[in-house]
Amino acid sequence: MILKTLISQLLSRPATNKFPAKYMPKSVTKFLQRVQAGKDQIHPPVPVPPKFRGKITYDREKCIGCQLCIRVCPAKVIEFKPEVKKIRMHVARCTFCAQCVDACPVGALGLSPDFLLADTDRNSPNLIVE
Amino acid sequence: MSERDPVLPEVEEKTLVFGGPERALGETFEIPIGPIHPALKEPIRLTFRVRGERIVGVEIRTGFAHRGIEFMGMRQGRNLIQILYLSERICGICSVSHPIAFTQAVERAAGIEVPPRAQYIRVIISELERIHSHLLWAGVAAHELGFDTLLHLTWRVREKVLDILEELTGNRINYAIPIFGGVRRDITPEQYPKVWEALRYYRGLLEELLNAFLNEPTVMARTRGVGVLEPKEAEELCAVGPTARASGLRKDVRQDRPYLAYPDFEVKAITPEDYGLTPMGDVYDKIVVRLLEVRQSIEIIEQALENMPEGEITSFPKIPALLAHLKKAEGEGLGWHEAPRGEVIHYVRLVSGEEAPLVWKVKAPTYSNLMSWRPMFEDQEIADIPIIAASIDPCICCMDRFHIVEGGREKVVAKEELLRLSWEKTRKISAQRGARVPESGGKG
Amino acid sequence: MSGWAIFGQAVVALVGGGVVGLIYRGLDRKIAARMQARIGPPIRQPFLDLGKLLVKETVIPKTAVVWLFSAAPFLAVLASFTALLYLPLGPFRPVLEGYGDAILVLYLLAVPALAMALGGFASGSPMGVVGAQRELVMLMSYEFPLAVVLVAVAWRLAELGISPAFSLGTIAAHPLWTQVGPLGVLGLAVLFLVLLVVTPAELAKIPFDIPEAETEIAGGLMVEYSGTYLALFYLADAVRTVVMAALVVAIFIPYGIAGPLGLSGAAGAALDFLFWLFKLFLVMVVAVTTVRVGMARLKVDQIARGFWLWGTAVALGGLLLLVLDKVVRG
Repeated sequence: MILKTLISQLLSRPATNKFPAKYMPKSVTKFLQRVQAGKDQIHPPVPVPPKFRGKITYDREKCIGCQLCIRVCPAKVIEFKPEVKKIRMHVARCTFCAQCVDACPVGALGLSPDFLLADTDRNSPNLIVE
Repeated sequence: MSERDPVLPEVEEKTLVFGGPERALGETFEIPIGPIHPALKEPIRLTFRVRGERIVGVEIRTGFAHRGIEFMGMRQGRNLIQILYLSERICGICSVSHPIAFTQAVERAAGIEVPPRAQYIRVIISELERIHSHLLWAGVAAHELGFDTLLHLTWRVREKVLDILEELTGNRINYAIPIFGGVRRDITPEQYPKVWEALRYYRGLLEELLNAFLNEPTVMARTRGVGVLEPKEAEELCAVGPTARASGLRKDVRQDRPYLAYPDFEVKAITPEDYGLTPMGDVYDKIVVRLLEVRQSIEIIEQALENMPEGEITSFPKIPALLAHLKKAEGEGLGWHEAPRGEVIHYVRLVSGEEAPLVWKVKAPTYSNLMSWRPMFEDQEIADIPIIAASIDPCICCMDRFHIVEGGREKVVAKEELLRLSWEKTRKISAQRGARVPESGGKG
Repeated sequence: MSGWAIFGQAVVALVGGGVVGLIYRGLDRKIAARMQARIGPPIRQPFLDLGKLLVKETVIPKTAVVWLFSAAPFLAVLASFTALLYLPLGPFRPVLEGYGDAILVLYLLAVPALAMALGGFASGSPMGVVGAQRELVMLMSYEFPLAVVLVAVAWRLAELGISPAFSLGTIAAHPLWTQVGPLGVLGLAVLFLVLLVVTPAELAKIPFDIPEAETEIAGGLMVEYSGTYLALFYLADAVRTVVMAALVVAIFIPYGIAGPLGLSGAAGAALDFLFWLFKLFLVMVVAVTTVRVGMARLKVDQIARGFWLWGTAVALGGLLLLVLDKVVRG
């Protein structure tokens, strides 16, 4: 019955993953500052599998400027820089579909396991890849 | 919008009350449920007329989650590959059902063949999604009943199927697996053992879940005889999916019009008779049908993994070739799929030389199931509202169309007007907040 | 006892009751969470919640009956705190012993429920009205079994010549288990069970939390309350849990452990008090927490029928067994 499940769950460890901390800290910014200074640590998130679709990576050397990725991107993430025939990507708009990765004929694009991308500024350096 | 509540105009007694005006005797008052309400997972407005605890009338008003996705898909400047990702985001729970129906529609319109291995992979991902969706629904139904322990339990076991989907496709929701001509990722032999292990886990768990939902006295007290949908009503109102099957109708798109690789599996529609019950069409039967479908999905995936054919995973491995083929395709195509909620249909009409389709129409399963709410609510109590509303597994975001009620007249908003209205509103709000005003065309 | 001594004791009892109520609420949430395989909030969370509510704005709806809407939370909190003064607190007799007995405690337990219902009606919201209707129906249904339990125990005590039989201090000092025959023990066990079932109904917890059903009527009779008023209702709910658990312990399990262990004096009293707190905790875990996570919410007609038919029948059965026991033993 349900009682058995309740007792067994009471006596085992909780199923919650404690990322980033067990309880909400009094001040989130102070907590993050302490983590930066090394005085506190963030409990790591559940590890992601290989081939997880996270933040986009770009190998500028390989890029030939064919603009195929721009044609297939559903979210208008990629901007062409005609003077250098390379691209700039606005990660804030990305839907992580990886269609650009499939479309690229030379394999200049990839998706990393990085998914902690929250930011307050669309154009912060973390969210522009070029 | 105007000062007055634009959503609920003055409604005459006659149109609202079950059984006609004679039944409106006695004091009644109105309870609004929605658009924001803890019982609803998505915005919809249900206005109930109640006498004490008895419901004597209901009015359903939708349109709060309409985003104009079909219109966005039909505008110039988008090609079909981009639209595929739009269709994926019509819904988060039935997230692969829409791309599967859409790709089939386009493949039929453009005459694209799909290799058998790709069909099998599509089936596997669809059935994994069905497991995840039914477990999610079971948790939500338990929460509506006040039984939070089952919510946490089912959502915890759902993590396993989400992990498997993440392993196979790269994300827990929005799998981005189907593409025109096949699938984008293969299921490699290294991944097989993980999938088998997950299936074994679920097989072992199913007995416990069936017990927890179907043999708990308080759950039975709340769901037996509640929200009954007679088979005749289900047929007249064109209910689809588990809503219809719980009333005893053996309707299943995988059985009636087999597609993808389903002809190889001989899928049979599941009704409560398969559990040994006489179908009554109440909420209890709907729980039975959905939990049994989880078992059916496990069996289908096992069969698919065992008999997976070798071969390519897509007939158009190079994207430029696919784009060129789609651009010169002409014709119309219909794609259908048995989503966890019922039958979803996409219709596409392609014109040669244009990248965007001329017409794209989506019929979501909840659209067919919505009207079955009326007979289900009749003569029930207020306390039953959340569980009856949840019993058809409403996915309002899949379903919405839009009404404007202005000065008592109703009109349906056409596509250009909706776009213009949304631009105006964004400009107005941006001006009020001092934010950057988007340029014309909506960019920025 | 001088008036000042009583006043001092009352202050200690009231403040202590509030603190213990909030701590136990935190423990209840923590244990419920662990039963659901979650981490749950820290045990000090109810204090943080109370503090947060006290600094928030109190919104009074335009359609409310303002004087009643504002009076209801104060009524609830005053009644539930006052009930603490008539209960035996561990080894200590009730603070206001002699000034009120178990019947008064029953009334004081019903007043917060009534106050919540009045507040729901006064709020002018349809959700509030529905919630208030349900609260009143539920109040009418569980009061009868509760009264039967109390009357049965008091009657049996009176038959044994112990008086005043309705005073909770007396009831706690003379547990009946050892003074009745086997039929009586069975009757007492039945009444114990009835009281444990009435406890979550009294406190409006699942499966009997229909007045405040979260998913159905968005908080029911509490839906329009915010800020200070909600903080008062929150506190009243925490204290009622303590009162109800203390009532259960006083009637059925008032035993101390200092006597058997041979301790006496201040050390014995302290140990007994801690043991009493532990008994309260046990009653709460069994009657409130486990039941709250293990069942779905019942509908108001099912609750009403259940208590009027089954609850009353079983309670009367327990009373009958006690009567038979008296007849048998002469």
